Amino acid sequence: MLNDVTFGQYYPADSFAHRLDPRLKLLLLIAYIVALFVAKTFYGLAACALFVVAAVVISRVPFGSVLRSVKGILFLLVFTALLNLFLHGGEHLLAEWGIIHIYLEGVIFAVFLMFRLIFLVLGSALLTLTTTPVSLTDGLESLLKPLTWIKFPVHALALIMSIALRFIPTLIDETNRIISAQKARGADFESGNLFKRVKAMVPILIPLLISAFRRAEELGDAMDARCYTNSPNRTKYKKLTFTWRDGVAALVGAALIAAAVLFNVYACEIFPAAYPYVVIA
Amino acid sequence: MSQDLRQEGSPLPEGAPALSFSNVKFYYPESQAPAVNGVSFEVRRGEFVSVIGHNGSGKSTLARLICGLLQADEGKIRVWGIDLSDADGVKEARRHTGIVFQNPDNQMVASIVEDDVAFGPENLGVEREEIGRRIEASLAAVGMSDYRHATPSRLSGGQKQRIAVAGVLAIRPDILILDESTAMLDPRGRREVIEVVGRLNREEGITVLLITHFMEEALLADRTIVMNRGEIVMQGTPEDIFHSGESLVTYNLCLPEITSMADALRERGVDTRPCLRPEELAADIAAHAAKTGRQCAVSPRISPDKGPKHGAWDIDIKDLTFTYSAKSPFASKALRGVDLHIGEGEFFGVIGHTGSGKSTLIQHLNALIKLPQANKKYRPPKLKKGQTPPVMPELRVGPYDLADKKCNFLQLRSDVGMVFQYPEYQLFAETVAEDVAFGLKNFNKDLSPEEVEERVRAAISAVGLDPDEVCDKSPFDLSGGQKRRVAIAGVIVSRPKILVLDEPAAGLDPLGKKEIMELLHALHSEWCRTVVIVSHDMDEIACNCTRACVVSDGRIAMCARPHELFARTEELRSLGLDVPLTAKVCEELKKYGMDIDCDYTPQGLVAAVSAALGGERDA
Repeated sequence: MLNDVTFGQYYPADSFAHRLDPRLKLLLLIAYIVALFVAKTFYGLAACALFVVAAVVISRVPFGSVLRSVKGILFLLVFTALLNLFLHGGEHLLAEWGIIHIYLEGVIFAVFLMFRLIFLVLGSALLTLTTTPVSLTDGLESLLKPLTWIKFPVHALALIMSIALRFIPTLIDETNRIISAQKARGADFESGNLFKRVKAMVPILIPLLISAFRRAEELGDAMDARCYTNSPNRTKYKKLTFTWRDGVAALVGAALIAAAVLFNVYACEIFPAAYPYVVIA
Repeated sequence: MSQDLRQEGSPLPEGAPALSFSNVKFYYPESQAPAVNGVSFEVRRGEFVSVIGHNGSGKSTLARLICGLLQADEGKIRVWGIDLSDADGVKEARRHTGIVFQNPDNQMVASIVEDDVAFGPENLGVEREEIGRRIEASLAAVGMSDYRHATPSRLSGGQKQRIAVAGVLAIRPDILILDESTAMLDPRGRREVIEVVGRLNREEGITVLLITHFMEEALLADRTIVMNRGEIVMQGTPEDIFHSGESLVTYNLCLPEITSMADALRERGVDTRPCLRPEELAADIAAHAAKTGRQCAVSPRISPDKGPKHGAWDIDIKDLTFTYSAKSPFASKALRGVDLHIGEGEFFGVIGHTGSGKSTLIQHLNALIKLPQANKKYRPPKLKKGQTPPVMPELRVGPYDLADKKCNFLQLRSDVGMVFQYPEYQLFAETVAEDVAFGLKNFNKDLSPEEVEERVRAAISAVGLDPDEVCDKSPFDLSGGQKRRVAIAGVIVSRPKILVLDEPAAGLDPLGKKEIMELLHALHSEWCRTVVIVSHDMDEIACNCTRACVVSDGRIAMCARPHELFARTEELRSLGLDVPLTAKVCEELKKYGMDIDCDYTPQGLVAAVSAALGGERDA
C-alpha cells in the first residue's frame, strides 16, 4: 500500500543546486514567490519562468520529475481556472449561455492564474527535490533563530522536526509490516464502501498508535540518559556555512528576481502596443 | 584515541567502587511485589560484569535505576561516587553512565549518523570543535567511521546499535550499560556489538554492565550476577555460575547446551569435564579417545538425503525475482532467481542475514507480494517477431497457482498462515477472543457465533493458553510470551495447511525460545501439515528442521538436510553465517583426527561420539 512512498521527494544528484546552502535556497524561494505574486503582466511571469527553468537545468533533476509535482494540484488548477472563466467580468464578451458570460479578460486572467500556480509549485518542488528534509530543517532552524529573542522555542521546534523526520521511515516500515500481517489474516482494505474501508483501518491504526507511544517512551528514556535538558546552554554541532558557491547563486538569483519585478513594472512602457492583453488588472 | 574517550570530569576517589547498590528496593506503582528487592552489589572500576536472569527478573529495572530513569524506593545507589537520591546527583551521574537499550530504532534522534552522535555532547554544552573530535573518536571506537554521513534507517541492526554505542561514548561515560542491546540483532550484528564492547572494556578501561540472555555473551565477563524475582541469587565467575548446573533451572534459566552435552557424554562413560566452550569439550573427548586408543575414531555414517518429500501441499518456486521500488532511483533487487521446493509435511528452515531477501521470499508464499503476472493490471508485453517471451516466475502452493490472476487469494491466505516477526505488535482488539477471531471471520464470513467461539477456544488451547482465563482479557494486559502465543493463535485459527513464521523466537529468553519451538512441533503434528520458519539461530535450525535452505544475496545458496548443510562449515562461514554449537565441536574434533557424522542435534552428537568411541550405543 505504501510501497510507492519514497520518503520526501528528494532527488539524489550531485549538482550546483544540491550543494547550495539550504538557507539561501529558502530565501530565494521566498523572493521568487514574492516576484510571482507581484507580477501583473505576462512579461513578469516569463521572467519567473526563465528563473525556474534555469534552476531546473542547473539542478540536473529531470524535467519530468519536476513536472510530476504539478499533477498533485491538477484538480485545484482546473477548478480555479473554471471559476475565473465564469465569474470574471470584462468588456469583450466572447460567449453567453443563459446566466454564464465568458469575457476575453476572464480567459486571460484564468490562463494567467494557472501559470502563476504552476510556477509556484515548480519552484517549491525544486527546493524539496534538491534539498534533503534534514538540511531543510537545519536551514529553517537557522533562519528562525532571531525568534529566540521573543522567547520562541526555536531549538525545541527544530528537535521536534528532526525527530519526526527520523521516525517517518521507521513508521512507514512498521505500517507496511502491520498491513501485511493483517492482510495475511484475511483483512481487506481495498473493497467496500467508504465506511467499511475506514472501519478496516482500525486493525492497522491501533497497533501503529500503540507502537508509536512505546517508541516515544523509549526514545524519551534514551534522550534523558543522554543528558538531554531543554537548557539554553545547549550547543549545536552542525553549522551551515556560506561558500563562494552560495555567494554566486545569491547574486545571480537576486538579480534575476529583481529583473523579474522591474521588468514587470516597466514592461508596459517597453511594449505599449501589447496592452491591454498582457496586463492583468 | 584513548585520550579522546576519557572523562575529564570529577575523578573517582581511589579505591571507591564505580557502582554500588546497598539494599535497594523498587516497586512499580501498579504492583505489590517489588521489582528489585533488597539488592546490594558493587562493581569495581574497569570491571566487566554480566547480568543474567529470566524475563521479568528485574535486571532491566536495575539498569534504569543506575541511569536515574527510575528512583529507588529504599536503599542507596552510588554511581561513580555520586549519590542518586536527589535530582542534581542524577544529572551529574548521567555524565558518567551511558546506556544502550534493546531497540536500536528507538534511541536515535537524528537522521544522519554524525548528528545523532553529536546529540549527547550538545546537551552538555560542549564546544563545536570538541564535538567534532568526539564524533570522530566515538565512531572510530565502534568501527563506523565510514558511515559518518549515512542515514541510520538504511543501516543493519548491528550497525545501528554500534551507532547507539558511539552516541553514548560521545558523552565520555565511565560506565557503559547494555540492556539486552543484542536481543534484536542477527548473529553477525550481535558479534559486532559484543566485540566493540569487549574492546572498550579492555583498551579504554570502561566499566561494563552487560545485561543479556545469551550465554556466550555472559561468558566474556569477569563476573556474572544472576537475578531471580528482583533478587541477586548467585554471583561469581561465569564458569562457576554455569557449572552450578541444576540450580540455574530453578531460576528459570536454561543450562548451557554444551554443558548438557558434556554431562550426557559423561553418563555414557566418556571422561569429560564440565565445560563451556566447544574447544574444551572437543579436547576432552580427544583426550579420552587417546587414552582408550581410538585417536582416529570414525562414527557410523548417516544415510544420505533421500531428497525432499512430495505431497498434495508442496510449495514449488521457479525463477522468482523481485525488485523493490522498481523504476525509481532507490530500486533494489531483493530476489535474483530463486528455485525452491518445500515438500508437504516438512519442518523447513530458511536461513539468511537481514536483507538477504528471505522475508521477501516468504511473503510471496501467501501472495502478500504477488507475482507480476498475477496483478490485475498486468498485460504481457507485445513481442516483436523473433523475440522470445521473457521468463516469468512460477509459484505453486498446493492446489493454488499463484501466477494465475483468477487464483482465490483470500482462500490461499487462509490455507497458508503467516506469522510475522514480533507478531504481538499486531494485536489490536479489545479482548483476546476478538483478536483471535479476526482472521477467522475474514476468511469465513458466514460462521455462526457459536462456531467462531468454539474454534477460537480451540486455537487458544492449541497455543498452550487457558481459554477460560485469557479469552475476555485485553491482549495488552498479557505478558510478552503470552501475547506472542495469542498472535500465533490468531493465525492458526483458520486451520492453515502451511504455517510460515518469521523468526518466531526472536527477542525471547532461552526458556521462552525453547517453549515456542516445542509449541511449533506440537502444532506441526496436530494442526498444520508443513511448518516453515525463518531463523538466524543455527542451533534452532539444527535441532528442529527436516531441511533448510540458506538465502544469500537474493539467491538460494544451499538447500539440504541439517546433517549435510552444517557439515559445510567453511561455506557457511564464507557467507558470514554462524554454525551450530554441535558443528563447532565436530570441527574441533576433526583437528584431533576424529571424524564424526551426525545430524547436528545435541543428542545426535552425543550418540555419534559415544558410538565412535565404542561406548554404549544410543537406542
